[in-house]
Amino acid sequence: MRKANSYTLYWMGITFLLFPVLAILGIYMRTVQAGGLAGTQTWFYPMMTLHGVGMVGVWYVAAMACAADILSRYTEPSPAVRGLALFGTLVGVLILLVSAFLGKFAAGWYFLYPLPFKGEWPVWSAVAFLLSLTILGATWLLWSLDLLRAIAVKYSITHALGWHYLAGRSEPEIPPSIMIITVSLIAGVAALVAGVIVLVLFYLELFTGAPSDALLMKNFTFFFGHTIVNLAMYLGVAAAYEVLPQYAGRPWKSNRIVAISWNTVLLIVLFAYFHHLYMDFVQPGTLQYIGQIASYASAIPAAVVTIFGALLLVYRARMRWNLASLLFFLGLVGWAIGGMGAVIDSTISANVRLHNTLWVPAHFHTYMLAGLVFLVFAYFYHCSQEAAAEPERPGLQKLVTFLMVGGAYGFFLMFYLSGAYSVPRRFAIYPAELAHGGTFSAIAAVFATVFLIGFFIYLSETGRRWYKALQTAS
Amino acid sequence: MSQLESRLIDRAVPDIPLQLSDGRRLHLSDLWRERPLLVTFFYRRCTGICTPFLEGVRDATRRSGGLGSDYRVLALSFDDADSAEDVEAQAAALGLLGSPGWDFAVTDREALGRITGALDFWYRYDPARRQIEHNAMIVGIDGGRVVRALVAGGGEGGRMRELVWELRGSFIPFYAVPGQTPLSCFTFDAATGETRLDWGMLLLLLPALAALIAALGVFSLGGRLRRSRPDIDAAKAWITSHH
Repeated sequence: MRKANSYTLYWMGITFLLFPVLAILGIYMRTVQAGGLAGTQTWFYPMMTLHGVGMVGVWYVAAMACAADILSRYTEPSPAVRGLALFGTLVGVLILLVSAFLGKFAAGWYFLYPLPFKGEWPVWSAVAFLLSLTILGATWLLWSLDLLRAIAVKYSITHALGWHYLAGRSEPEIPPSIMIITVSLIAGVAALVAGVIVLVLFYLELFTGAPSDALLMKNFTFFFGHTIVNLAMYLGVAAAYEVLPQYAGRPWKSNRIVAISWNTVLLIVLFAYFHHLYMDFVQPGTLQYIGQIASYASAIPAAVVTIFGALLLVYRARMRWNLASLLFFLGLVGWAIGGMGAVIDSTISANVRLHNTLWVPAHFHTYMLAGLVFLVFAYFYHCSQEAAAEPERPGLQKLVTFLMVGGAYGFFLMFYLSGAYSVPRRFAIYPAELAHGGTFSAIAAVFATVFLIGFFIYLSETGRRWYKALQTAS
Repeated sequence: MSQLESRLIDRAVPDIPLQLSDGRRLHLSDLWRERPLLVTFFYRRCTGICTPFLEGVRDATRRSGGLGSDYRVLALSFDDADSAEDVEAQAAALGLLGSPGWDFAVTDREALGRITGALDFWYRYDPARRQIEHNAMIVGIDGGRVVRALVAGGGEGGRMRELVWELRGSFIPFYAVPGQTPLSCFTFDAATGETRLDWGMLLLLLPALAALIAALGVFSLGGRLRRSRPDIDAAKAWITSHH
């Protein structure tokens, strides 16, 4: 039994509150695309914006909360900064809600320049949206730097990044989670700085009228957006490295291969975002090729090493399968499947066909929902159970897993099929020649509801433990 | 590029009938079918911008090359009083009579209304001066649609050559308000036809650089704390033992 950290529990509470609301917005969108809820179509794009920004933000902070909790097992993140991160995030979310619900801001979660200034929404809602991102970005940057500081107080940079493994030494032993979190936080600082630059340029135009270069803005936007989503995923993977061995009864140690793969991520992940700009003919061709190579090089080594490592960890081990270990394992599987979709999408010749279809939401929903969300749910359950030590109900936990996995993959399949049948993305309603898009949407909404039922049962299982853990939290 | 120029891009151009200075009758599409077309407007009796503007087009096309092989130029009179002989005289005055790649033409009033309306070309007869007030415009057309337009106020040589480069198939970056976009990604040299990366693209290195500096700074600070840790722990132990 281990006392839970109160901040980790607060983050869990926020995640449990926001996630179902944002998921319901997703179901709403699929329902509208299926031709339902007529009369509410004007809300489609504001809700698409809120769903996108909200999901990325929620799962980024949830993954950061997992990382902070893992780090607190080895070193001391500042409680003051953790409190500030919580406060700043709540303020940012509040302003974001105002921008979406009162201002109907609808420029999408990419808020691609110059769309925020060109829509039908009032200027104040665009300003509120940008202000919200400013608060969130500044807070998260500070949080990232503090977590890096906490690592630095215990480990040198060469040890934290496992460079001694590259040199053939195995001492001192560095937990792989520390290595992955260090890589993710350094990349995260770069992403957040890119976000800050985009926001500064937006404000510059807002207050002085100086126009920005649309290509530059798009580069920075995806530098920020792509990288932040990627590293949130990596933080979830770090949680699996940290906790899954406890259920397997075997260690999952760092070695030269693990160090090479994650240092490759650090070196290359910052260039992978170029694959978001394949459609932009003005982007220099060299950067497009770098985008494809970097996408392969940043995704494949880390994923292959991790999946191979996880399989070896589990193979013939005396696994204790419960909600945490099941979701950790399935989260890594989801990462691998969604990652395959992402690698296909980052291939220039395939992207030309798939980019504007629902294939894109298909792959990012796969690695976010069946990857990151499962990993974070696993960690949250693990923390709560570790502190609450409640008796477990294997049957119910298997049912939760079955409903969430079945619901999620059915939901993804409708996206993949839509992509294969050239159904375009970002359409609120489909014209007659794309009627099959509406059918896929209706089935997707049903599967998403199945997932949500599974989630609520998960919530009842974890929530009870969470509440008990809160009573004894440190 | 002005807002007027921006809004013309991709606009469909009506396929009007033309009478060329050599007397041939054809349609505008006969000219744009084989290769892109530059269309500019003038009238013979103009005492203002028409002749200098046409000279500017002539000089820009000579400097940029490709005229006749990559694109053609049509100078269309917007004065329905002009005849084929008038526009032929204009061509001769510019030294362009029989010049390959150049056509001078007239059309009827109805067709004139259609094309000037489609391209937002503004003109009005001033009876006091017996002149037509108008702006100066040159439009690049490919496949019947506007690919780029230039509404001139003089001193447009560089931009005119950009237009010609574009018609010749080069990618020419442009900004909503020329020269006022800080940190632009590209610059274009109209003299050489070369597009170069600008400071904006270099700025993309800044986040990675900032992350590197932040990481080195934080770990350097952490190293100092680590080294002083035994002293801090000893001091804490001393305080605890003396209380």
